[in-house]
Amino acid sequence: MKYKDYYSTLGVERSATPDDIKKAYRKLARKFHPDVSKEKDAEEKFKAMAEAYETLKDPEKKTAYDQLGSHAPGQDFRPPPDWERSFTHGQSTFDDVDLADLFAGLGGRGGFRRRADSAAPIPGQNYEAGVQITFDQAFHGTEIQMDLSMPEYDENGVAHRVPRVVTVRIPRGVTDGQKLRVPGKGGKGLRGGRAGDLYLDIAVTAHPLFRVDGRDLFVDLPLAPWEAVLGTSVQLPTPAGTVSLKVPAGTKAGQQLRLTGRGMARPQGVAGNLYAIVQIVVPTVLDDAQRALFTQLAEASTFNPRAHFEREASHAD
Amino acid sequence: MQIEISEAVSLDERGVLTLEQLVELSDLPESELRALVDYGALAPIDPGAERWTFTTSWIVVARTASRLRRDFELDAHSLSVVLQYVQRIDTLEAELRALRAQLG
Repeated sequence: MKYKDYYSTLGVERSATPDDIKKAYRKLARKFHPDVSKEKDAEEKFKAMAEAYETLKDPEKKTAYDQLGSHAPGQDFRPPPDWERSFTHGQSTFDDVDLADLFAGLGGRGGFRRRADSAAPIPGQNYEAGVQITFDQAFHGTEIQMDLSMPEYDENGVAHRVPRVVTVRIPRGVTDGQKLRVPGKGGKGLRGGRAGDLYLDIAVTAHPLFRVDGRDLFVDLPLAPWEAVLGTSVQLPTPAGTVSLKVPAGTKAGQQLRLTGRGMARPQGVAGNLYAIVQIVVPTVLDDAQRALFTQLAEASTFNPRAHFEREASHAD
Repeated sequence: MQIEISEAVSLDERGVLTLEQLVELSDLPESELRALVDYGALAPIDPGAERWTFTTSWIVVARTASRLRRDFELDAHSLSVVLQYVQRIDTLEAELRALRAQLG
């Protein structure tokens, strides 16, 4: 079992009063709680703080923790023999026990009741894991293999960290930030208790071309000025492959050309749309012949792109 | 060796669960879930029904509520206010994402 220094995690002395501990925790929770914080690695940091507070706020757990002695964080240690006799039941080993699971198991109504003393079924623990997938995996759906370290109870009610490999099918059309549930794939229950669930927090890597808004996708479509004026047909990349897109004559910059049903899949019903957003791009290097043609066009054209400026100016006069 | 593949399920408007199931999945006591419904932070499909049912999308809200309650030691009323803010932030972030997606 690896030692964790709960006092230093909360930034308090070992002699801290319950009030000091509570204040230190609340200050840190406000800063790092993953539901309210945008700090980097907030989730990881908060987990450690919550674990420390969970034990130190409870007088009985705190006593049990203090009796483990003081070790260097991360150091392998064994609880003193007295400790095992006082706080656990039976012949549990502590090699693969996480301190958090051990103390979570020691709480209970009526004082320091041990899990093993009760005959009631204990449900398995829910387990939450972050999953990073690519845009293409999100679009097409994918299977991922996860190496997890899951808390599972032994017959004495002590939770051990057990390595588990879970293969999960992610349905197509998941979006960044979406949560998925994998029923029954959390920790196993004890004495007939139901297995916990595995919850996946999906993060989708941004795609260099496609931007996502819910089920709709957006892609920039650069056009040369003459393509926008005369109309054209372009080969447009979509997540499902390249399609031919007809650009009508007189297409303006910023205009959105809709490709119905080419966005992200919906679990039920029609998929979202893909929107090609028109950008007019101009050549920056012209040879003499091209310059002459543009000059000729400029002289022949009566088109005034700023006519509305003049209208506004005449109202102001 | 055969690999067992588990299906990940979306938590959306299609799935339906009972209040008892929501208690089990959220780790919130039933009294707390009922109070959150009273404060408008959770919405059963038919609030007038004798036995409440919820769409599975509420699992995410109820689990967030459970975390916030435990980690900030909040009562049901404070919890419903915080949840309202969290949901407002989620909505604003979604609008921001939508605008960014359209503007590039």
